[in-house]
Amino acid sequence: MQRKTTGAMTAFAITSILSVQVFADATPEDAAEYRASVMTAMGGHMGAASKIVRGLIADDGHLAAHARGLALVAAELERVFPQGSNVGDSEALPLIWEEPEAFAKAISRVQKATVDFVTVADSGDKEAIGPAFRRVGKACGGCHDKFRVDDD
Amino acid sequence: MTNFVLTTTSLTTILGAATLLAALSAFAANDSIARGEYLVYAGGCISCHTEDRDNAVPLAGGRALETPFGTFYPPNITPDVATGIGSWSDEDFLNALWEGVSPEGKDYFPAFPYTSYTGVSREDLLAIKAYLFSLDPVAKESPDHELKWYISTRLAAGAWKALNFEPARFEPDRLRDPQWNRGAYLVRHLGHCGECHTPRSVTGVLETGREFSGSKLGEEKVPNISPDRAAGIGRWSESDIEYFLDIGMLPDGDFAGSSMVDVIEDNTSHLTRDDRRSIAHYLKSVPPQPSPGD
Repeated sequence: MQRKTTGAMTAFAITSILSVQVFADATPEDAAEYRASVMTAMGGHMGAASKIVRGLIADDGHLAAHARGLALVAAELERVFPQGSNVGDSEALPLIWEEPEAFAKAISRVQKATVDFVTVADSGDKEAIGPAFRRVGKACGGCHDKFRVDDD
Repeated sequence: MTNFVLTTTSLTTILGAATLLAALSAFAANDSIARGEYLVYAGGCISCHTEDRDNAVPLAGGRALETPFGTFYPPNITPDVATGIGSWSDEDFLNALWEGVSPEGKDYFPAFPYTSYTGVSREDLLAIKAYLFSLDPVAKESPDHELKWYISTRLAAGAWKALNFEPARFEPDRLRDPQWNRGAYLVRHLGHCGECHTPRSVTGVLETGREFSGSKLGEEKVPNISPDRAAGIGRWSESDIEYFLDIGMLPDGDFAGSSMVDVIEDNTSHLTRDDRRSIAHYLKSVPPQPSPGD
């Protein structure tokens, strides 16, 4: 199962890289809005998954679906920060483009944590789910802490 | 012969009792240290008394605390005699946390939240002290506070206290359930949430009429945590609050990067789920407040 997942991720990553050219034609405003929507999508999966992780909503196989959704969206994180897209309501900090290596690392931590979360959700190991979800959150927060404008 | 046997028996009994007593008191001491460690998490000691850098020694002091009155450098609270609290008696410790007075009789600035800790029980404070004294002493002096001229003397701290501070232990409200009371104790006293989340007057006094309506920490805006639906966390369920204090997730699935990340990592994530639930339960019960400026 893990192999299959990793395979899907790789395929998706390649698709993402191929899409860079298409993306480069986008206006800065569209790029910023697209990024915000991608983040909202991740937050939506996190919020839904947390209800299942907390035991407030029955799983019935849907935790794995949210985990997969997260990992698929996370896989395109590299391409949603094109140069010049820090416009409008964008909360991106210039540090993203000033320290691209540190930023790439922070993104890859999110991607790894989400792929691990898929593996754990598929395994049905109830003990491992909480900690795996927490690691995803930590990776999200780690990136926001350094590379996003503080809210409010 | 009979006599000899008897004597041996009593001696054995006495020795056995002594061993048992020693073991019991060691057990009690360990128990107190373990409780103290937990209470250090609940008391939020680590986030201020530890430097803000990787691999900083916990509780050895030094994190810059920026306020409108200047920058405070919280002291080393490891049991080093010269630079920490190694020479403090139990009474010294209680006086510092309940009354805001140092062992030399100097008044502390309220950047040290004795204004909240004054409600913490003697038993809990002495457990915290037992834990702190079980740590390795670290010889490390914190920098001097860098304060605005008008408060740069300890006399200012004394004057402020005389005007604004009344020491008092926490008294449970008998009309409320134990969970509410536990939450009140954790939020208002040990966890001292209001020290950051309640706005202050120009003289730095917490505005109790606008409790938990949010404030500022240096440049950072500290959010409203009253149950106001628009300005505060009124739309959050108790489970949302509990889970936020555990892993840092907002109900919409976002993970904020703010000073609260450290508070969660160093403090609230180490609490029992029951204690986090009590905090949530209490916070949902306080009066909803619009945010300052709304």
